[in-house]
Amino acid sequence: MSDGHFLELRGIHKRFGGVHALRGVDVTIDTGVAYHLLGENGCGKSTFIKIISGAHAPSEGEIILDGQAHNELSPIQSLEAGIETVYQDLSLLPNLSVVENVALGDQLVSGNGRLMRLLNRRRLRETAREAIRNVGLEPTAKLLGTMVGDLPLAIRQRVAIARAIAADARLVIMDEPTTSLTRHEVDALIELVGKLLERDVAVLFVTHKLEECYRIGGQAIIFRDGECISQGPIADYSRAELSHLMTGRELDTMRYRKGIPQAEEVLRVEGASSGAAFEDVAFSLKAGEVLGITGLSDSGRNEVALALAGHQPLSAGHFEISGAQVHLDSPADAIARGIGYVPEDRLSEGLFLQKSIYQNEVTLILDRLRGRGGIVDKRKGREAASKISEAMNLNTGNIDLPVSALSGGNQQRVLIGRWLSIEPKLLVLHGPTVGVDVGSKDTIYRAIQAMAERGIGLIIVSDDLPELLQNCNRILVMNRGRLVDELDAATTDENRIYQSMLGSANEAA
Amino acid sequence: MTMVQEMNDRSTPKRPEDKLTIWETLRRRPEMVTLTILVVICVAVSIINPNFLQPGSLIDMGRASVVTGLFALGVFAILAAGGIDVSFTAIAALTMYSLTKFVITVAPDLPMAAIIAIAVVAGALLGAVNGLLVHGLRVPSLIVTIGTQYLFRGILLAFVGTVWLMELPPQMTAFGKAALYQFQGANGVTVDLPAYFLIFPVVVGLAWFLFDRTLMGRAIFATGGNPEVAARLGYGQRVVHVFVFAFAGALAGLAGIIHVSATRMANPFDLVGTEIEVIAAVVLGGARITGGTGSVLGTVAGVLLITVVSNTLVLVGIPSTWQRLVVGAFILLAAAFFVRRKQKPKQRKAE
Repeated sequence: MSDGHFLELRGIHKRFGGVHALRGVDVTIDTGVAYHLLGENGCGKSTFIKIISGAHAPSEGEIILDGQAHNELSPIQSLEAGIETVYQDLSLLPNLSVVENVALGDQLVSGNGRLMRLLNRRRLRETAREAIRNVGLEPTAKLLGTMVGDLPLAIRQRVAIARAIAADARLVIMDEPTTSLTRHEVDALIELVGKLLERDVAVLFVTHKLEECYRIGGQAIIFRDGECISQGPIADYSRAELSHLMTGRELDTMRYRKGIPQAEEVLRVEGASSGAAFEDVAFSLKAGEVLGITGLSDSGRNEVALALAGHQPLSAGHFEISGAQVHLDSPADAIARGIGYVPEDRLSEGLFLQKSIYQNEVTLILDRLRGRGGIVDKRKGREAASKISEAMNLNTGNIDLPVSALSGGNQQRVLIGRWLSIEPKLLVLHGPTVGVDVGSKDTIYRAIQAMAERGIGLIIVSDDLPELLQNCNRILVMNRGRLVDELDAATTDENRIYQSMLGSANEAA
Repeated sequence: MTMVQEMNDRSTPKRPEDKLTIWETLRRRPEMVTLTILVVICVAVSIINPNFLQPGSLIDMGRASVVTGLFALGVFAILAAGGIDVSFTAIAALTMYSLTKFVITVAPDLPMAAIIAIAVVAGALLGAVNGLLVHGLRVPSLIVTIGTQYLFRGILLAFVGTVWLMELPPQMTAFGKAALYQFQGANGVTVDLPAYFLIFPVVVGLAWFLFDRTLMGRAIFATGGNPEVAARLGYGQRVVHVFVFAFAGALAGLAGIIHVSATRMANPFDLVGTEIEVIAAVVLGGARITGGTGSVLGTVAGVLLITVVSNTLVLVGIPSTWQRLVVGAFILLAAAFFVRRKQKPKQRKAE
């Protein structure tokens, strides 16, 4: 094709009910080029890749694939054109073998998705062997026959990329591929991307890690609030420009008013260890202070949060709450000491989705609401719940609405607000804005600051660095189970924190 | 037997560095455990009471396992796709009774092959109803099939009939009696090896081919492994859902007509109530109730294990009232084993 681009999206809109996720996006993709789709959480990146891969139909607009115009793509159409998506969950089937995961797609797509067909086992093995070799793995019979669910993450990722190669992909979309990889594995992945580009495959990264984008090179596509606001060679943008384009704000104005640490110390952690998860962790937290804890996902930061919540007992060291040494052997212990914990996965761990806001808000104080004969005093409960919804700025007047009817941001506020009912001394927030849109993020941050002003000590465990910089007084960095750095949020930046997160991994590599 | 060998070949290490430990082999092929238990029980029972090896008792067990086995293969397909079905017995009852009544009253000359074909097609259609409902309503298949079990059975008892049909059409009686071979038992009684026995191995072969050699088979496992990912990768979920339930329905229809021919009467109250035993057999064969695992061979082993346990306790002097106790214990042991299997071998070594 003379003027032919591989894929063109023109004027793409996508609405989910009342939410306008994409507002007229135009993007062009050519084979053999690396693209970096950049933008804040909730800016429409994932909706965009789902439209390309055929998981969602656009509400408006045109998709031109190999010169052919479509209103929408089906998953099979998209696969047939050679568009392969490696989602964060890698889209692997845990109960099928490596061979099947890598090579079944080839036969599925060549049969147009028809299932009543013979399976060519020989072709399956050959395709898989070839593709596995192309991602730098040795295709032994043992590896090929292993169930994918039994493989370590970095190998699984290679299997997912091998599947893309086996399907003769022309565009491979990778959704935050380096999030849980070690430095060494990231290097290997970047090398692999180079190989894909040499084979004239286009690679579209969805990522937050600007450093890696610069290393790979290619084109930057920047999204903000559902619009594509800039596209061009990534080398032409400075870091500051990228951040400014993504957020629409100058970095300095992004900071929220910090809590003012008071003299009283609410938490002291001394020499805390827990099995192999973390070792010799020590820090303290003052009332009204917001403390960030970050690190890679296997750095031990999650386990420290769980230990504070009473989910993971310490094997050595201890916690002091307001000067008194405490044992936190169960979540009930932690709650009794005034420690609140908002889990990362609010849907499965924190909320009763089918129950009303009122019922969710009072779960922690049912004991206190018990009136004569052990019956819960509903009037008192409803008062408490109303007060909380007001404090959390829940923009719904009706506390009888089921939580499942609320947006992600509001659900998160219900969950955080629940802890206000016990007047906690310390609140541990684990990834408080994961999967929450930009607007709700803002209100959650305001709620965090309001709690700090009430004298609650807050700990935010997160890998969202801008979030930590915006909200925290201090940021602790963990690496391989140890506390490796303590930074003042006012004087540090993302790059500095990131260096620290990878610190000793660097030395090892 | 070639089938069994071929299936083993895939996991047989070909190079020394590929050697699998025993635990890994078991993790991959849990049906080997079921098979081993089955063999151990058979050997033990035949030592204690050699009557076990009499053609008469073997054929009794075979007869009992044909109908359960056909049901179980259908249930296995549905479990593998991540669903569950409790309506297959109602499908079998509705099909067998209506069809027998139809042959008696309307088409007495219908050849047996046609009767079987109609049973299979009718069962498949009823099963497809399940599949469409599960897919269309997005309701867990347990709920849907509890509903359709009542529905199908209600239709049978309310509109078709409640009377036992004792006088079967001659071609069905002949089909039930047709013998492949006659044994002269030790006590002088002749025992027939019924021809319908052949149907089970044929269906087992077909099912194995379906699961192992067609894309549909892989699509079923893919769906059971993770339905969202499977849909994303282009495995049509509607087709898979309708297919597995229709497959189970077809086998239920077939099992129903064999049941009628073998017992030489059509009882509309029959079969319904045996679902749990069939599901138990499939689970004993290594299929997880959460979907995406199991094998045809394992399902056959599970069916034989349940049949042998139910039929041999008497032979070794254990009262028949103990059957349920033993089967229950087996299911719990199997469940415990399969849960442990999910843990990594490393953890196990550390213990």
